[in-house]
Amino acid sequence: MSTLVKVARYHLVQPFQYLLLTWMVLAFTFVVNVVIFGVTPVRQHMVPTANGLVSAASMDGRYTGALCSFFIIFLVLGVQSIGRSLPFGLTLGVSRRSYYMGTALLAVVLACADGLALAALQAIERGTGGWGVQMGFFRVPYLLNGPWYQTWLTSFVGLGLLFVYGMWFGIVYRRWSLVGTLAFIAAQVTVLLGAALVITWAHGWTGVGHFFTGLTVAGLTGLLAVLAVGLLAGGHATIRRATV
Amino acid sequence: MTPAISVAGLTRRYRDQVALDDVSVEIEAGSITGLLGRNGAGKTTLLRILAGQEFQSSGTVNVLGAPPAENEHVLRRMVFVREDQAYPDFKVRHALRAASWFYPNWDAGLADELIADFDLRPNKVIKKLSRGMRSALGITIGLAARAEVTLFDEPYAGLDAVARQIFYDRLLTDYAECPRTILLSTHLIDEAAALFESVVVIDRGRVVLEAAADGLRGIATTVSGPVLAVDEFTAGRPVWNRRRLGSQASVVTVGQLDEAARAKARSLGLDLMPLTLQQLVVHAAEWPASPEAANLPPQAMEGASA
Repeated sequence: MSTLVKVARYHLVQPFQYLLLTWMVLAFTFVVNVVIFGVTPVRQHMVPTANGLVSAASMDGRYTGALCSFFIIFLVLGVQSIGRSLPFGLTLGVSRRSYYMGTALLAVVLACADGLALAALQAIERGTGGWGVQMGFFRVPYLLNGPWYQTWLTSFVGLGLLFVYGMWFGIVYRRWSLVGTLAFIAAQVTVLLGAALVITWAHGWTGVGHFFTGLTVAGLTGLLAVLAVGLLAGGHATIRRATV
Repeated sequence: MTPAISVAGLTRRYRDQVALDDVSVEIEAGSITGLLGRNGAGKTTLLRILAGQEFQSSGTVNVLGAPPAENEHVLRRMVFVREDQAYPDFKVRHALRAASWFYPNWDAGLADELIADFDLRPNKVIKKLSRGMRSALGITIGLAARAEVTLFDEPYAGLDAVARQIFYDRLLTDYAECPRTILLSTHLIDEAAALFESVVVIDRGRVVLEAAADGLRGIATTVSGPVLAVDEFTAGRPVWNRRRLGSQASVVTVGQLDEAARAKARSLGLDLMPLTLQQLVVHAAEWPASPEAANLPPQAMEGASA
C-alpha cells in the first residue's frame, strides 16, 4: 500500500466526519427546505404547448441554494484534515509532503464520490417534480443545472477546490496561528483589490463583463480546476516548513 | 560501529531564546540512553528535531545515517512518543490501527498485551482519557512499533508507580527480544537509572555531560563529617560543591575513590556516599559552562586515584 493511500486511509480510520457528518448536515438542510417549500404556494405561469397556452408550475423562486452548506462543510473538512490530524500523522513517520499529497488524494476521492451522489440526487429531483414540492435543491441555476455528467464534474471541481483551500488555511493556521491566518486573508483581499484597480485603470470592466457573461459552465469549471491546482501548489509550498 | 544518532553543532534559535546551543552528541546503535535535564533545557526540542518534526537553525543531524527531515526512508524506521502528543478525534483503537499501517515492524500482539496491562479500553475516545492513560497509549504505540530508533519524551507523565513499573519491565523485555536504539527523556532519573546504558545531560541548550552509565557509578562522592577531617580528605581533590553547617561539612568530590582513599576516610571518621544519577545531574547542571565540562575531565579521575 503506497504511503499516499495510507494517509488517505488514516483520515478515514474514524470515518464519521468525512463520510457521515457531511450527509447528515445535508439531510437536515434538505428537510428544513422541504418543509419551507411545502408550505409556500407554487406560482403558476402560462407555457405555450401544442394545445395552446397552459398553466404550469413555475420554478420562479423555487431554487433554495441551500446546497452551498454541503460545499462549506468541505472547506471545514479541509481545515480539519490539517489542524486536527497533522501532528499524529507526522508522529507516524509520514513526511509532510506525503501527508499533504495523501490528504489531497482523500479530497479528490471524496469530491468525486460526493459529486456523483449530488448528480444522482439531482436526477431524482428532476424525476419527482422537485421532491413533490417543486423545489430546486440539487439544481442551482446556471451552476448545477445541466446534464448529470456536467453536474458531477462541476461539483467534483467545486468540492475539491474548497477542500484544498481549507487545507491551505489549516497549514497557515498551524504555522502562524490567528494573526498569520488574518494576514493570509488580508493578502488575498489585497490581491483581488489590486486586480480590480488594474482593471479599472485599464478600463477593462466591459471586457471582464463580456468574459463572464459569455462563460459557459464548462468553461467556469475549467477555471475553477486551474484555481484548485494553484491552491494545491500554494499549500504544498506552505507545509514544507510546518512544525508540530 | 556507526552511531544510530549523530548530531553535530546543532543549534535551534527561537525569536527570543536559544533552545539548543551547539549540541554535539552521538548515540550508539542498540543502546538505551537517558536524555536528562531540567524543564526547558532543550530535551524536547532535540527530540523533535531528531524526529523531523522541528527544523534546526544550524548544524547537522543524522539518524540511521541520513538527515531525518522529510526523509521517509529514515522516518518510517523511527517512532517518537511525545508527552503532549495531539491526536485527531480518534478512539484508542483507531490510533492503534493507524499506527499498525505505518510501522513496518508493528507487533499487534504486543500492542494488545500492553493495552491490557495498562487497562486501556480500545473504545475510549482519546480526548477523554486521563493524562496517565494518554501516556499509556503513547507507550503502547512506542513499544509496539518496534522501530529501530525509538524516542520517548517524558513517556510516563501522569502514570502511577505500578504502570511505570510495567513500562520499565516491558521496555527491558522487549529490548532484549528486539534490540534497538532507545533515547528516553525523563525527570524521574533515579527511578529510570537502572535502564540506562548511557546518559546525556543537557542544560540551557548545551550538553553538560555525556557518559556511559557504568562510568558514572561512583564518579562523585559526598564526603561528610567534621570540617577539619573533610578538609584534610578533600585537599587536592577536585570538588563540585561544599556545604558547611556548624562544625560539620559536606563536600562533593569528583573521581573514583580507591581502597586507600576509602581507608583514609574511615580512619578520619568520614561518611562516604556515592552520588546517585539524579544528584549527578543536579550538579552537572550547576557546572560553569566551560567546554571541558561536556565530558567528565579525565584529569579529575587521575587526581582522585593518585
